[in-house]
Amino acid sequence: MYPKELLMTQETTAGPPKKTLSGKRLSGIIMDDYIKLHQRASEGAFVVWIAIVVPAELFAGFENVVYAVPESHAAMSAGKGVGALQCEKAEQEGYSSDLCSYARIDLGTAFNKGKDSPSFGLPKPHLLVSNNNNCSLLSKWFDVYHRLWGVPHFILDIPFCYEDQKPQDFTYIRNQFGDLIRTIEGLSGQRFDIDKAREAVRFSFNALKEWKRFIGLAANRPSPITAFDSFVQMAPILTSRGTARLAEHYRLLADETEEQMARGIFPVPDERYRLLWDNIAPWHQLRKMSSRLAGLGANITTASYTYCIGSLEGDFDLYDDKGDDPFAYLARLQNFSVCPQGMALRTRAMKQAIDHNAIDALVFASNRSCKVYSLMQMDQMKHLRAHTGIPAVMIDVDHADERKYSEEAAFVRLEALLETIEAGRLSNLV
Amino acid sequence: MPGMHGELIFSLSLSIVFTVNSVYTRARAPTMNELKNSLLTLKQQGRHVVGCFPLYPPLELLHSFGLTPVVLWGLRTEVKDLSRSDRHLQNYTCQVARCLMEFILENNRSVFDALFMYNACDTLRNLPEIIEAGLAEDGISLSVFKLHVPAVPHDRTGAQGYLRDRILSLIAELEKFTHRSFSPQEFAASVDLYSRQRGLCREVEALCAQGRITFASCAGHLELAHFMRVEEHITLLEREILKAQKMSIDVLPHKKVMVSGIQAPPVELIEAMEASGLRIVANDIATLARSYGYCPKPLADPCEYYHDFYFNHYPCTTILPAGDRRVELIRERVNESEAQGFIFFGEKFCEYEYFEIPFLKDMLRSFRVEVVALELGADDLSNLMPLKTRIEAFAEMLYAKNVP
Repeated sequence: MYPKELLMTQETTAGPPKKTLSGKRLSGIIMDDYIKLHQRASEGAFVVWIAIVVPAELFAGFENVVYAVPESHAAMSAGKGVGALQCEKAEQEGYSSDLCSYARIDLGTAFNKGKDSPSFGLPKPHLLVSNNNNCSLLSKWFDVYHRLWGVPHFILDIPFCYEDQKPQDFTYIRNQFGDLIRTIEGLSGQRFDIDKAREAVRFSFNALKEWKRFIGLAANRPSPITAFDSFVQMAPILTSRGTARLAEHYRLLADETEEQMARGIFPVPDERYRLLWDNIAPWHQLRKMSSRLAGLGANITTASYTYCIGSLEGDFDLYDDKGDDPFAYLARLQNFSVCPQGMALRTRAMKQAIDHNAIDALVFASNRSCKVYSLMQMDQMKHLRAHTGIPAVMIDVDHADERKYSEEAAFVRLEALLETIEAGRLSNLV
Repeated sequence: MPGMHGELIFSLSLSIVFTVNSVYTRARAPTMNELKNSLLTLKQQGRHVVGCFPLYPPLELLHSFGLTPVVLWGLRTEVKDLSRSDRHLQNYTCQVARCLMEFILENNRSVFDALFMYNACDTLRNLPEIIEAGLAEDGISLSVFKLHVPAVPHDRTGAQGYLRDRILSLIAELEKFTHRSFSPQEFAASVDLYSRQRGLCREVEALCAQGRITFASCAGHLELAHFMRVEEHITLLEREILKAQKMSIDVLPHKKVMVSGIQAPPVELIEAMEASGLRIVANDIATLARSYGYCPKPLADPCEYYHDFYFNHYPCTTILPAGDRRVELIRERVNESEAQGFIFFGEKFCEYEYFEIPFLKDMLRSFRVEVVALELGADDLSNLMPLKTRIEAFAEMLYAKNVP
């Protein structure tokens, strides 16, 4: 479903990029996920739309519940080049162009009944489930559908973390999962089976373990992956969560990447600059940005957007829960994504990533469409510069609306950053 | 200045002529440094000022500990230069947050003893650490109390217990900070004061809807609630109510409108509305009706009191589970007030407000209520003329349609 040129294009010889086996498998998984979603919905499955960090493993506890992730669909739309088109449709319906571009893409797609969408949109939901820790405006976005279509909207209230999750927050979150299950049971008439949910959590854990192995390969020099690979490969975490297939895909992905590395195949063979990206992926620029940076000997090897997956707040490593309570595992991981974390936690995890992957410089992508990710970057950048001595730059992006992105303005700053790294190296030689 | 005082004639292109006479009290436009000076005065009086954001902090609880809480909202008249804030916040941050940041960084310990915040929107929840980082650059630190208010309906499992736990934790922090023990009697007294204040605010609003006081005057006096000691604000409101009750009811032709926004529009725009023959008969403004519209029962247990306060709060875009009630309430208030027009004053970059506007516009239009949505950003305040023109055009449209 993603443009083929975005899928693990590690061959650097002349000619069109070749898709790797993992790239081909990824395309198949995503296509299959959307086809099955539409098919099962048309056959009467209970359809839930969720925010990305809502624990989808819970839905595996039901016989016939399927879920869709509007944010993931919006990212895919932007990657396929229809982001701005769908945004305009929402704007024509009166939605401000200052709203999150994921939301505008999703609203534009829904208002236009899936036209121009790479997946023909999403099947209409029976229930909307948002949460307010990753992005509380998502609750407002889902409220639009709640009002227009009369679909129930369940909000998971997840307290923001300025420090490690507190026990009372954990209990509060865990209790709400029970309410969500009872809500689905009441609306769908289906019974919840905790053993099935437990199995889904186990699959997810195995998948995250392999995911961490994959992104951990960025510690190698040169790195066998770019952060852009991780952006593209994270898609099935959103659409295939809690499945054996997801775990198997990431196992093969990590294996294949190790194999490529052993064969001396690297995305930026003459890697001179190892960068860290902070923010959501610029979906409309993946190929352009990665290839232009590669031409400069720069590789964004690491991204907070993808290294956070599977970790606790403020941490870089995999969270390994030894218990057997699926609700507990999911509740404890509710703050894994960067946005629910305060600056101290974000900075703590980023320092670990910098050390682990030997990062030369930081790229803070100031994202107009994601205030919750972006508003604190200015101080985080200052802090990290001062405490690590690593240069950093801030560029303006919008994760899905390419009308709000200037490639030249961004690259002027990125090139200046590379010059700063170079100047630092020279001064160290003197 | 149209619509303020004295004999003034404003003519619309429809040749409808309004004479705005002396029944109106003077508009109360806040002046530069007014808030700062008033806070400095409080400090000189030995008071301990707690700057709170966003709009619905547990004022009674803070007050019962002998603190003077002020709500840091609507600071655009106070803050003209955003240079300190701009070193910490991107320019796509709403003006409310930028002004708040600027004001705290500029005045810091000279006016504040501590800060308080609770969860509302994505922007504001990021602010505590940014403020701390900004203050630290000047070698300053301020205590920041934080509260997570459950953003779920009251019947969600554990929500009530969670809020209780949070309130008790806040009380423990306040006890440590003030070196005082929580006093149920003091709390009950504070609850009485704020209850009285909210009631008076509603009285002022009713007098405004009757045409005894202009909205320009009304809004200014009501918004002072956020920056004054509650005791002084009560005195002020009582005085204004007595004055307004002696005023004759304005019988000039007018069209009734309701206004909405995250803060009251600048006084110049309110005056433009009134000078154009629009009477503001109801409001859905966060610093006004949404702040004083609901008054909890006077319970001595702070946990029970804040359960009522937060779970039954007047609907606001920042209170996530209140969305459905907000739609219903706007419908009711438009009906009750017989508003013929509705004006949204959007705060640029306030996504919470903007997600709801399209649906509300459609709903209002389906009731044959005319709607206009205006937008105000940090850069618009220096030139309000385009917005005034739109207001005048909206008024003309209401008259041209001859909406009864």
